[in-house]
Amino acid sequence: MTRPIDRTWFVDLTRSQVHVEERTYDEVADVLGGSGFGWRIVANRLPSGIDPFSPENMIVLNPGTLVGTRVMGASKLTAITKFPTVASADHRYYVGSCTSGGRYFAIGMRQAGCDRLVIQGKASEPVILAIRDGGLSIEPAGDLWGKGIDEVSRTLIEQEGQDAGVLVIGTAGEKLVRSALTIIDRTNSLGRGGLGAVFGSKNVKAVVAHGTGSIRVADPIGYNQIADELCERAMTWPRREHWIKLGLAAGWSTFKHTQNPGMWEKESWDKLYGEEKRLESLRAVIACASCPLNCRLRWVLPGGEFDGEQGLGSPYSKSATSGQLLGIEDDRKMIHLVTEANSYTGIDFYTTTRLIDFVTRMAERGRIPAEQDGITLARDYPTYQRLYTMTANREGLGDILADGWYRVQEELGLDPSEYWYAGVCKGVDFIYDARPSRFHPLMMTFLTRPRPHHGGSHTRTNSRGKTLEEIRDQAAHWGLSDEVMDRIFLETDYSGKFNVGRYTAYMEDLMRVKNAIGLCTIYTYQALIFADDMARLYSAAVGEQINARELIRRGERVSNLAKMINVRDGFSRADDQPPDVWFRPMEAPEGRIEMEDYYQTKTLHREDLAHMLDDYYEERGWDKTSGHPTPEKLAALGLSI
Amino acid sequence: MISIGGRLTIWPDRCRGCRSCQMACSFTKTLEYNPSASYIILERDLETEKTAPMIKSLRCDLCGGNPACAAACSYKAITFEPNWESGSCE
Repeated sequence: MTRPIDRTWFVDLTRSQVHVEERTYDEVADVLGGSGFGWRIVANRLPSGIDPFSPENMIVLNPGTLVGTRVMGASKLTAITKFPTVASADHRYYVGSCTSGGRYFAIGMRQAGCDRLVIQGKASEPVILAIRDGGLSIEPAGDLWGKGIDEVSRTLIEQEGQDAGVLVIGTAGEKLVRSALTIIDRTNSLGRGGLGAVFGSKNVKAVVAHGTGSIRVADPIGYNQIADELCERAMTWPRREHWIKLGLAAGWSTFKHTQNPGMWEKESWDKLYGEEKRLESLRAVIACASCPLNCRLRWVLPGGEFDGEQGLGSPYSKSATSGQLLGIEDDRKMIHLVTEANSYTGIDFYTTTRLIDFVTRMAERGRIPAEQDGITLARDYPTYQRLYTMTANREGLGDILADGWYRVQEELGLDPSEYWYAGVCKGVDFIYDARPSRFHPLMMTFLTRPRPHHGGSHTRTNSRGKTLEEIRDQAAHWGLSDEVMDRIFLETDYSGKFNVGRYTAYMEDLMRVKNAIGLCTIYTYQALIFADDMARLYSAAVGEQINARELIRRGERVSNLAKMINVRDGFSRADDQPPDVWFRPMEAPEGRIEMEDYYQTKTLHREDLAHMLDDYYEERGWDKTSGHPTPEKLAALGLSI
Repeated sequence: MISIGGRLTIWPDRCRGCRSCQMACSFTKTLEYNPSASYIILERDLETEKTAPMIKSLRCDLCGGNPACAAACSYKAITFEPNWESGSCE
């Protein structure tokens, strides 16, 4: 049984230097290798207090430990950086992670022998980084700088070969738009909240990954048998036929309840943006590597002013919520804007839409002048189109929007807590709203994670209407003691039939596991892979027998590392606060929607969420007042940060 | 189509690009995962991101009668009929 070697490639762009650090797997196993060890590198080598756009910031790209093998869902890349989203009124910035699937990029890294890439410094001119069998090269970006994502992606793939993976930033990343993300393999987005802008600050336009080496596991026969067994579960999943027909467009039946801004009648929304409407433009569903479910999409707009326009990614949820927020009934107009974001600018569509919604509606209400630098704010599509472009280009008012919620507050006097949908925490607008969604554990992670996005945390609880037995059965695979399970599933008057705070602590640790090994969150969302399956896979892959409890314990170690890095930068419980809007009833056409617990037994108030946060910190062994890991906890986990 | 003790058929329209066929092929030969070393090329159309498998037929031995690529394809873009006799049907 041959155990894998872990190789981290470092590139210092300022000095044009590359070096490789090689470790035995024992040296990275306590944090599961992959992004777990990426977090340790950040903990040890990223200085605290730096500006995200300074050369000292680092980007760590981590393919999962199982990536490149034939295990369903094992396609994921995790990136860690200090994000440039302004996260507080006193301008602090969180260090966070983001994840994405793909078909070529993460595999291409591993095939080249690069288990992790650490990018530091700043190139003196725009560059492309190329990860190949022979090592990493820094190449001039030339005239690719200034061009859109899809054109650059295609150019690089044509130059490198059809199996090349690409990670590319758009024009917004070049201009340091603080929400800008990256696109991987043309179909997957990575890093809302500004990963693309951090790449831009380093003068890196793209990373190409194209290796040809083999990926080995310690027990190939045993590993392959588990892969077959798991795949059979997906193949016999009753919803598979619907899912592979529609990909992520299949989520409407759940989505229309959970991401509803509450401005339109649901029936009207269904007609304008529902599944039947999606089928009019959907042309193909594309799989990530090793995925028997597939969810990425190719669409072609039928008719209208954008007739024939093609896009890649997943436009439907974004366009449906944004269309309702902005009052645009023609789905093609909104999908066109998503297409521009995915294929050209790389702005984050959620954040940009909500900022545009905020300022245009506040102008309509007379709270800010309608005449702004470079534009008259109106509630119409041409104005929205212009504002997306101005934001991506940092023109006029767009320069303010490009810096996010706190800059809008500073320059226009609009408090982010006044925004009416989903809420803002640590400078990030949530993709879900806890009122139509109800307060499920993923909403809790938006508060407690350093970066307020789900990060791949999904479990059965992220859909409405799952039975308590179903939720408990999934958690039973986490290998927790009876005592812990009893604490999680003890009914309380502030959290309902299960304790969301305590549940979330372990759900987050499982997320750290999935990200470290590279497993797509869809498979825990749909309960097709369980924590004990991950333990079997991991054991066979690296040649160390561990169970689910130990796996999650190692995920907990990563959670604590991530938290401590942010504690160093001044974050505390005061930053983990629920947004005000959750406590203001949504006045929807079907009536008032208040934030309720998962089973709708009661309306939740501030003191209820405070109680859940208490339970979360207590379950983690953290100080309830500061929200910081205690020295005793860190010692118990063997962490010395 | 390849017909060595059975018929392997490619259905390009069904391919979703997951590369499982390539991984299964290389694993069967070497007990390692390596799309680049498999006997399958996944042709990629950059206009549409459509992919389609092509078998390197001079090298493929149908895994001795139980081709791993067909077993691994969740989308039935590669299928195998073990008892097919050349000329009996199409």
